[in-house]
Amino acid sequence: MSGTGECITAGTSLLLGLAAGFIMHRSDFCMAGMLRDLFLFRSTFKLRILLLTVLAIMVLIEAARQAGLIYLFPFPGFGSSSLANLVGGMFFGVGMVLAGGCVAGTLYKMGSGKIVSAVAFAGLIVGSTLYAEFHSVWKSFADTVRILPGKVTLAQFVGLQQGTVISVIATLLAIPLFRWWRAGKLVRSSAADGYLQPWRAGLMLALLVTVSVLIIGIPLGITTSYAKAGAWIVSLFAPGHAEGLSYFKARAFDYPNHLLGITYSGGPGPACDTISLIQFPLIGGLIAGGFLSVRLLGEFKIHARVPRSQYLSAFIGGILMGLASRMAPSCNIWHILGGLPVLAIQSILFIVGLMPGAWLGGRLLTGIVLKD
Amino acid sequence: MQVKEIDMRGQICPSSLLMALREINANKLALRSGVIRLSFLSDNRDSTATIPESAANMGYEVSVIKEADSYRIDVFAKPDEMEKRTA
Repeated sequence: MSGTGECITAGTSLLLGLAAGFIMHRSDFCMAGMLRDLFLFRSTFKLRILLLTVLAIMVLIEAARQAGLIYLFPFPGFGSSSLANLVGGMFFGVGMVLAGGCVAGTLYKMGSGKIVSAVAFAGLIVGSTLYAEFHSVWKSFADTVRILPGKVTLAQFVGLQQGTVISVIATLLAIPLFRWWRAGKLVRSSAADGYLQPWRAGLMLALLVTVSVLIIGIPLGITTSYAKAGAWIVSLFAPGHAEGLSYFKARAFDYPNHLLGITYSGGPGPACDTISLIQFPLIGGLIAGGFLSVRLLGEFKIHARVPRSQYLSAFIGGILMGLASRMAPSCNIWHILGGLPVLAIQSILFIVGLMPGAWLGGRLLTGIVLKD
Repeated sequence: MQVKEIDMRGQICPSSLLMALREINANKLALRSGVIRLSFLSDNRDSTATIPESAANMGYEVSVIKEADSYRIDVFAKPDEMEKRTA
């Protein structure tokens, strides 16, 4: 695990995470907020930015694919869809709103000194680990409600070329975005120091996702490693129990990286495999990126005097996100910034589920957590 | 003018905006007549955009000042609004 390919993988992931964490902090690129604000405040500004980001990734990845720069397509990790994707998305939506940020938002906010996000992070690990306890039941449910076997993308489902379907959808997205751009609806004024306009941040993140696909072969994803971290903890205190859990023996990825001449193989089990090389540096980078940004601005300060209901909300939200990211499987970053731009059916179902989940999360947040 | 300070530092997102809207609504009359100024202390950078945006839409004047590690967002009546009410 110490060859050049492995070093490039870990280094690339670290730099991508660092850049993403910095960019997200400077622009308040909170993906949980993008959906939550739609229901809570009827605000669509952040959602417009998300659409721009998805469109940019869509165009960049399709261009790279047409240029023959992408060896494995559909990306490893995406498979046939199931209604479990939808149910997972729904739980994830509730969790990310209660936690005050998604899996990536939790990391950069934690790096910037938010204690509630650190609590959500702990919840994420607990939830991802809890999933291992009922993985076999959930897997059999997911297999039972599997739909469109063998069809990974929308293009495969409708029987058209990927390029044709992407061109149509990209054009449909570009029309309203162009109108919003001309009307100045993609720009917002902020008095925050070093503020990065979210539309710029979206384009930068699109580049980072494309770099990840070109070098590592898959879009950004981190949640398998939350389960892996939990597996390590369980195996430390109850090695026999960890050994008996089938989920910890599962393989999340097993694919060759032709560019670097190595094979990525591994899963959520408590082993130091190539998944650790991809995801742990990315997680560390996201935290460090948020920390670096806030330190350079001189805004780092830990404020722990927060109502207990908010700590509880963050923890429960983290658990729900952790559970849901295994049930779906995977998280919003993977599906929205990775699967949706290539029109993966799994990701479309996840996002369909995410909407009512975010709505319900908003209701719980305002009705219970922030009531007083 | 009385200043009511609300410390929202460290809180979960979007608590800052929700709390601010709640305080603005609860102190509507005093705010409009210029008796009170609401001063929100937040470390949530997003609040420097969302609170001023919402308060301005409700017809208030807003100022944002960076103070060490956080932002002070003041919401108060527009001068012409105060003149109208005191006339």
